[in-house]
Amino acid sequence: MAFLEFNQVSFSYPQEGRFALRDIQLGFSRDGITAITGANGSGKTTLTKLMIGVLRSTRGTVCLEGRSLEEYSLGEIGRRIGYVFQNPDLQFFCSTVAEEISFGFVNQGCRPETVEEKIQYYLDYFELGNYRHVFPLHLSHGEKRRLAIASVLATEPSFLILDEPTTGLDAYRKRLLADLLIKIAGAGTGISLVSHDQAFVNRLAERVITLEKGRVVWDSGEGRKHG
Amino acid sequence: MANLDPRTKMIMVVCLSILALLYNTPAQLFLLFVFTLMLLLFFNFRLNVIGVYLKPFLALMLFLFVVQCVFSPSGLSILSVGQVSLVTSGGLLLGSSMVLRIIVVTAAAMLFTTFSPRDFILGLVQWKVPYELAFMVFIALRFLPVFRDELVNVITAVQLRGVDLKKVPWKQKLDLYRRLFFPVVYGVMLKAQHLAVSMESRGFRAYPTRTYLRRLNLYYADYIVMVTFLAATITLIVMGP
Ligand SMILES: Nc1ncnc2c1ncn2[C@@H]1O[C@H](COP(=O)(O)OP(=O)(O)O)[C@@H](O)[C@H]1O
Ligand SMILES: [Mg+2]
Repeated sequence: MAFLEFNQVSFSYPQEGRFALRDIQLGFSRDGITAITGANGSGKTTLTKLMIGVLRSTRGTVCLEGRSLEEYSLGEIGRRIGYVFQNPDLQFFCSTVAEEISFGFVNQGCRPETVEEKIQYYLDYFELGNYRHVFPLHLSHGEKRRLAIASVLATEPSFLILDEPTTGLDAYRKRLLADLLIKIAGAGTGISLVSHDQAFVNRLAERVITLEKGRVVWDSGEGRKHG
Repeated sequence: MANLDPRTKMIMVVCLSILALLYNTPAQLFLLFVFTLMLLLFFNFRLNVIGVYLKPFLALMLFLFVVQCVFSPSGLSILSVGQVSLVTSGGLLLGSSMVLRIIVVTAAAMLFTTFSPRDFILGLVQWKVPYELAFMVFIALRFLPVFRDELVNVITAVQLRGVDLKKVPWKQKLDLYRRLFFPVVYGVMLKAQHLAVSMESRGFRAYPTRTYLRRLNLYYADYIVMVTFLAATITLIVMGP
């Protein structure tokens, strides 16, 4: 049984006639890195939003650990799956960068004496140390992207979904991100990422799924690359 | 007739809102609500959309309802703890009026979505309202949904970071909302600012005269509806409750 499973899932946005996704049959396991590719508008973002229950399937079911996603609250899903939005502006709601990073683990009851240490770790890794007290929406695009990734990783989810995480990052930051993702995957976290960046996908992904007009047209299947 | 002039619809919204604010019994407000719904149906508006608009504000409405119920006691006591009456008939009536009023004003405002905002600005400008002012009204109307979407986004984002909003105790929840208030409002303002910059960089207000591609015309139907609405509203106000 896969960690996340799509059983004949179709989805159409309310008040839209056509299906954005059609007859999706996919399983995602908790190891390895899966890349989801496809042209603009092929349904990649929609697919990831169905994976975290922000959108609910029109037909078919999405199952998380064997139970239908409908049985989970968003909070319960959030504690298992971390989601980095395509547009980072949508996921910030705190007054400072440091608060944004610590929000997840503080609310999940992390021990007070380790809070500061964890914040510092993520600030350092993502080179956001100088922006500790800055309002998140005032950051530059690349910085916002890094903060979005940092604040989701800080909740230590057991599965991670990133929607076009490399947009706005320079080559050096892309490499850092790739290294980090490989490290996280190696430590036993499943990762799915949406990306157009062929080099990035080639470097990371063990499995590639390609969407076209809302259908899966290519799935290289599950396999291992990083031992 | 279903394509009345935007200005006519605006007059309707103003009349309905004024009545909603003046009326204060649930029965009157309910009648007003039914009337508004009929109007919306007439303009081919899908009523379930009202629910979608109101949903994020349900908690707020419930809160207002409870506050009105508890803090404006009058009439018979319905529920009491010891000597203190918690819910009174008067408070209950006031609370339901309050909630109905919000619903009526929201429903009436839905009339604005039955024409394009562009036409609305055009209409106001032809009535010699300065373009900037008309545009501000348009932006205000535009930003209500933005604010609502922002609220929905934040609530989703907070939960996806592992917080079960439904299970958090009241005190903690209030604290959370208090902390989120400033960043969310400021975020909406930032987005409004970006919009303003992108407009000015495209020449908004740079030239004293604007060119309008179309003209709107008021037809007999518009005059008849406007006069009827204004007359009915004034009559209802003068007649009193
Ligand atoms: N909120 C929405 N309402 C209606 N249609 C939408 C919405 N979001 C996306 N779509 C449509 O669904 C299709 C898939 O979009 P999306 O999943 O965002 O594609 P991708 O992420 O692959 O670029 C597109 O045709 C898009 O226009
Ligand atoms: Mg997308």
